[in-house]
Amino acid sequence: MASKKPVIVRFYRFQNRLKEKTAGLAPGNTSISPEALEKAEQALTKMSEDYPDWVSGLIVKLQEQHGRCVDTPEMRRDCFEEINHMAHDMKGQGGTFGYPLITSFADSLYGFTAKRPSEITDNQIELVKGHLDAMRAVIRGRVSGSGGEIGKKLTEGLNQAISKYEKEEDVK
Amino acid sequence: MSDYDFDRVNVLLAEDSQFIRSLLVNSLKVLGVGNVFSVEHGGDAIHFLQRVKNEPMKVGVQQIDIVISNWDMHPVDGMMLLRWVRRHKDSPDRFVPFVMITSYTEPERIVQAREMGVTDILAKPFTIKNIGEKLMSIIERPRQFVHTKEFFGPDRRRQKLGAKTERRILTDKSEGVEIIRG
Repeated sequence: MASKKPVIVRFYRFQNRLKEKTAGLAPGNTSISPEALEKAEQALTKMSEDYPDWVSGLIVKLQEQHGRCVDTPEMRRDCFEEINHMAHDMKGQGGTFGYPLITSFADSLYGFTAKRPSEITDNQIELVKGHLDAMRAVIRGRVSGSGGEIGKKLTEGLNQAISKYEKEEDVK
Repeated sequence: MSDYDFDRVNVLLAEDSQFIRSLLVNSLKVLGVGNVFSVEHGGDAIHFLQRVKNEPMKVGVQQIDIVISNWDMHPVDGMMLLRWVRRHKDSPDRFVPFVMITSYTEPERIVQAREMGVTDILAKPFTIKNIGEKLMSIIERPRQFVHTKEFFGPDRRRQKLGAKTERRILTDKSEGVEIIRG
């Protein structure tokens, strides 16, 4: 017994309890009910239609935060944190519902509000507004996909604003 | 051919986006999943799983059958949750099927999740068909768990490798192999 070799790998093999739970013990193939799949697909489509409204609601909330930044400069750091959180929520899913531009603008807003220097300047607040304007334009115009010419213009406009304000910050 | 009955299945869903969360809860319910417990991030999921272990009667569930989690969440992300589920002594079930939802589908990210013991990846944007396929694969093709010095998780080799492969394959009879059945 003393010569028992040490174990280098353990394989765990269990009874398939999940299969017993969902398909019972009867033999034969089991599948997901086509009716349930169809119903779920419809529900998903229905919810996707609500996506632009949901984003619009978030943009309004972002706008409120932007307003607070302008009115109460001492609250800027808190507002930026709030904005950053909402931008994260938006960036993960635009693509799922056919609005990749929302994802890319939200991603940019997210990245830019993640850095929170001790003093947040008016330029940075303006840049938040630039992002919100671009997102609003996407939703208002229902600019899905990459948005063709309009999408390109919006992206370029936003990028220009970003580099302009970044330059001004560097000069300071 | 009969249909699955998901009525007794308990799913824990961790997703920080309220919109995606309600969308997934709704989809799973329409597919017939009996219980979907949803939380906002990995930290809440860990807390919930601890409660399932310690006070199942109060939570109203004895066991979570499948964990579905977003990867990118704050403050506790999907990878931290997966790590906890697979390795922590307080985890109620280290073998529970774990599906990671992610829009990061770069190969190195997938490998990272596999090394941490993920069961399956659900790529964003997803469809109902994708969700259905993941459920089917978890039920129909469960993999053995492998425990070595460096790894704990579902067997990363899904396919039977052909005879040409150079990789060393341990068999049940190999030295140092222990089989645990349950």
